[in-house]
Amino acid sequence: MKKSLLLVGLIAGVMTVNAEQKLVMDGSTTVGPIAKAFAEYYMRENPGVNITVSESGSGNGAKALLNGSCDIANLSRDLKDAEKAAMKEKGVEPCKHVVAFDALPVIVHPSNRVKGLTIDQVRDIYTGKITNWKEVGGSDRKIVVISRDTNSGTFETFMHLVMGEDAKIKESAEYTGSNGAVRQRVQMTKGAIGYAGLGFVDRSVKPLSINGIEPSADTVVDKTYPLARELYMFTKGTPAKGSLVEKFLDLMKTEKGEEIVEEIGFVPLGAK
Amino acid sequence: MRLSTRKLLDKSFSACAILAVMLLTAFLLFVLTPLVVRGIGAYVFKGTVEYRRMMFDQFDRGNEDDLKLEIAASAVCRKPIYDAINAFEQELESMPRAKRKELKPVFRIVREELSELLGPEPGKPLPALTRMLYGQTRWQRAKVWRDRVLYEESWDYSDEASDGKKVFVPRRPLFEGTALLPLFDCVENNLPQIMNPRITFYGRFLTDKSIDAHFFGGIGPEVLGTIYLALGAMLIAVPLGVIAAIYFQEYAQEGVVMTFLRSCVNTLAGVPSVVFGLFGLAFFINTMKVSQGKSVLAGALTLALLVLPTVIRASEEAIAAVPRAYKEAALALGAGQWRTVLTVILPAALPGILTGVVISMGRAAGETAPIIFTAAVSVGKMVGPLKMLSSPTPALSWNLYNICTEHEAVDEIRHVQYGMALTLVVLVLALNLTAILIRARVSRRLKG
Repeated sequence: MKKSLLLVGLIAGVMTVNAEQKLVMDGSTTVGPIAKAFAEYYMRENPGVNITVSESGSGNGAKALLNGSCDIANLSRDLKDAEKAAMKEKGVEPCKHVVAFDALPVIVHPSNRVKGLTIDQVRDIYTGKITNWKEVGGSDRKIVVISRDTNSGTFETFMHLVMGEDAKIKESAEYTGSNGAVRQRVQMTKGAIGYAGLGFVDRSVKPLSINGIEPSADTVVDKTYPLARELYMFTKGTPAKGSLVEKFLDLMKTEKGEEIVEEIGFVPLGAK
Repeated sequence: MRLSTRKLLDKSFSACAILAVMLLTAFLLFVLTPLVVRGIGAYVFKGTVEYRRMMFDQFDRGNEDDLKLEIAASAVCRKPIYDAINAFEQELESMPRAKRKELKPVFRIVREELSELLGPEPGKPLPALTRMLYGQTRWQRAKVWRDRVLYEESWDYSDEASDGKKVFVPRRPLFEGTALLPLFDCVENNLPQIMNPRITFYGRFLTDKSIDAHFFGGIGPEVLGTIYLALGAMLIAVPLGVIAAIYFQEYAQEGVVMTFLRSCVNTLAGVPSVVFGLFGLAFFINTMKVSQGKSVLAGALTLALLVLPTVIRASEEAIAAVPRAYKEAALALGAGQWRTVLTVILPAALPGILTGVVISMGRAAGETAPIIFTAAVSVGKMVGPLKMLSSPTPALSWNLYNICTEHEAVDEIRHVQYGMALTLVVLVLALNLTAILIRARVSRRLKG
């Protein structure tokens, strides 16, 4: 009896007391570190705000925005036509905010002697036409192809920039659920090849040059590295003036926000 | 069968059994030892001066005067390093162009590694991320970064026939004869004086909030979230489960419907937990709209469904174990069935029910899949009990997975990963231990 009273009291309490401002973010694991750092920074500056971040992939982020279960959807790709159509049907007007620029380094185990590949070679590796590293100048070792899962924006970007319209990733490819998981898989497997966001590449893996260009902040800014993209945060409609969402999104345009983006390893908007 | 054959069979069976038990123990030790040893590392470790500086800034802990003295002492030891950097920067200007081109990029890397080791250089603008405001807070990591300053980790591809090999090239020889040389000597020899490592107990790892994506601080929000979810699940599952068990045992007539219902409960117990997770998302959040998005309430409801069969079965067994005489005596005294259940059967069955409840609670605390879609987030504040029903929360099980695979700097926060794993294991173990104690008490009471 007491328990149920307590429960009723709790529910009533939740319904009446809601002084704390809430902001819910969901989506890409690539944008995740930026979102997390922004959230912690914003909460430190504004103690009355609770921001939660989940990293469930760009596709889930878009779905969550559509369902209204998040305020900001982090996407590492643009909205797809199907998603736009679904949103239109539900009367959701998505509003795009660019957070940062990113490259898609193709990474291998550091023991791999291959220094660089052309886009065509990367495509051939992922379609299964090239199956051994010796075919592209490496030692005699089978190539283990690692890809992101199909829910991922990084996957979509890779498909768009590398694979083109009709090429399919070979069936024996391994699909992993996050950027961090791709990196871990590659750093543990000698013959592996994978791709991840710029902020996830550290000294445990070796980024390859693509068409002779090394992935870096500079080559992203001067647009010479071919596998570059923008990272987004989507909101429902243009955020209202003075709303929490607007104030939060303003952070990325400030110097502090750009510094955070840069320190995590991505390329800030203002980078020249 | 001859007696000797039977004895032989008996013996070989015991041998097999002993072997199996030994294998099990070995496996348990194999799994638990590193977990415990490394997990304890999150609570007890050698903390550096940077750790104490961070704790004072971020959590307002420690003695300010002592800390000031310590930082001053460390600064004295650091001075030769920064002097060397400044002197070398000037020397670089006057160097021949080819040499400058060779040394400048390496110098830049050395400086970057050094600020990871010691924190930002004095006089430089402070970085925005908290993780970059401090050097290595743990002596173990400090030693790793010392080596990264002193040696270049590179890969040797000269052997055509095989893969590249990892080699550590000392950086010192490159800077022979320049003003930077004291830096390497100082980092190599004086690091203990610079960092002043001390055995540190960090018990509040368990309750502190995390700072900058778990680089510093503790796992408070995760622990609290796990407790909320487990308690919430039990709050929902126990009344439902116990009532169902009473119905099954005391009221229902055996028949086709009952058999069907029972097999439903059994099937529910065998459903994979991820199915519950997806069901929770589709039913509680998208259809019932118990909350706007993920929330503790939705997670607790989902977990409640998951543990419901266990609670029902444990309660049924406990009720069935109540001696018939109790019930008959109550009925003979003129009590109705409802009264008998409430005042005689339930109190007698209570310890057994509690055992089941506590074990289910351990399960609810440890489950990951049901809360991925319904409750868990990777970053979130500690929520007060008033807000918990509508806000999502971090939780030990999910965040352990998150910081082991999705985190951007997995290697830097190993201690948090092991600390979190140990905490979760201990939490579940403690719950199960409680269940064992309750059961022991019951059997004692029944005997007496």
